[in-house]
Amino acid sequence: MILLTLSALLLGVICGLNVPDNIIVSMLSENSDIILYILMFSVGISIGMQDGIFRKLRDYNIKIFIIPLGIIIGSTLGGLVCSLLLNVPVFKGMAVADGMGWYSLSGVTIGKLGGAELGSIAFMSNLMREIFSFMLIPFLAKLGPFCCIASAGATSEDTTLPIILKYTNEETVVLSVINGAVCSFFVPILISLWFGFV
Amino acid sequence: MLIILVMCIGIAVGKFLIPRKAKNINAKISLLCTLTLIFSMGAMLAARENFFGELMSLGIKSFLFFLFPTAFSVAVVFFMSGLMKKKDKNKKRQEK
Repeated sequence: MILLTLSALLLGVICGLNVPDNIIVSMLSENSDIILYILMFSVGISIGMQDGIFRKLRDYNIKIFIIPLGIIIGSTLGGLVCSLLLNVPVFKGMAVADGMGWYSLSGVTIGKLGGAELGSIAFMSNLMREIFSFMLIPFLAKLGPFCCIASAGATSEDTTLPIILKYTNEETVVLSVINGAVCSFFVPILISLWFGFV
Repeated sequence: MLIILVMCIGIAVGKFLIPRKAKNINAKISLLCTLTLIFSMGAMLAARENFFGELMSLGIKSFLFFLFPTAFSVAVVFFMSGLMKKKDKNKKRQEK
């Protein structure tokens, strides 16, 4: 699966570099939202086919929010450490880290609020979080299913979801979607909050 | 929100309409969609102006801003889920 994922990414980069006006490539890129919806529908079917999954989720109760809370705390702490190491203003560093993998939104927003260089760092670092999650999830699954979701951050509800499904179970997938929605909700709020202190 | 809605429709379809035999076909569709999405992500990134220039100049900073938040997130979630499991075990023991 990792090989397939990396091959698809590499092939996409090669196509994007060599044939930027290719009709198939531009059609796929423009309609990536539709592909994502098909994927989510398919993931939904997979969840619906599992027996007893909702009973298990009901048992989680409020504990369901432990994962997004842990991700937000961890990302913010990570941003704080990076700021100190790289001599970047603390609140700006925390804003970059709290992109939680949502590279498009954090790159653009931080670029507008903190300048092009910081915007590029936000874009690249959050993109790396998504790409490296593909490679890390198979190993993190050995630590427990929640650790896979933690690595994926806000991307756990879309792009990294199929990999999480592959290496965990349907119950984790539902938690993953909820986590992605909660994290995605907090990304713009946290970025604005930290820039409010700058 | 639309993503969640689409998934909920999928859950209903999977629960009531699709036979269990179709599980493998559904898994294949899921894989195909994933690979297509990753492919288009790669194509879109490479088509971005000065992408490799940015990667070279800000690579190390960006890498650290990926590494620490991800590692801390995994560590905090690992610790918190461990606590949660411990609490559940204690609760079950007390109930017995």
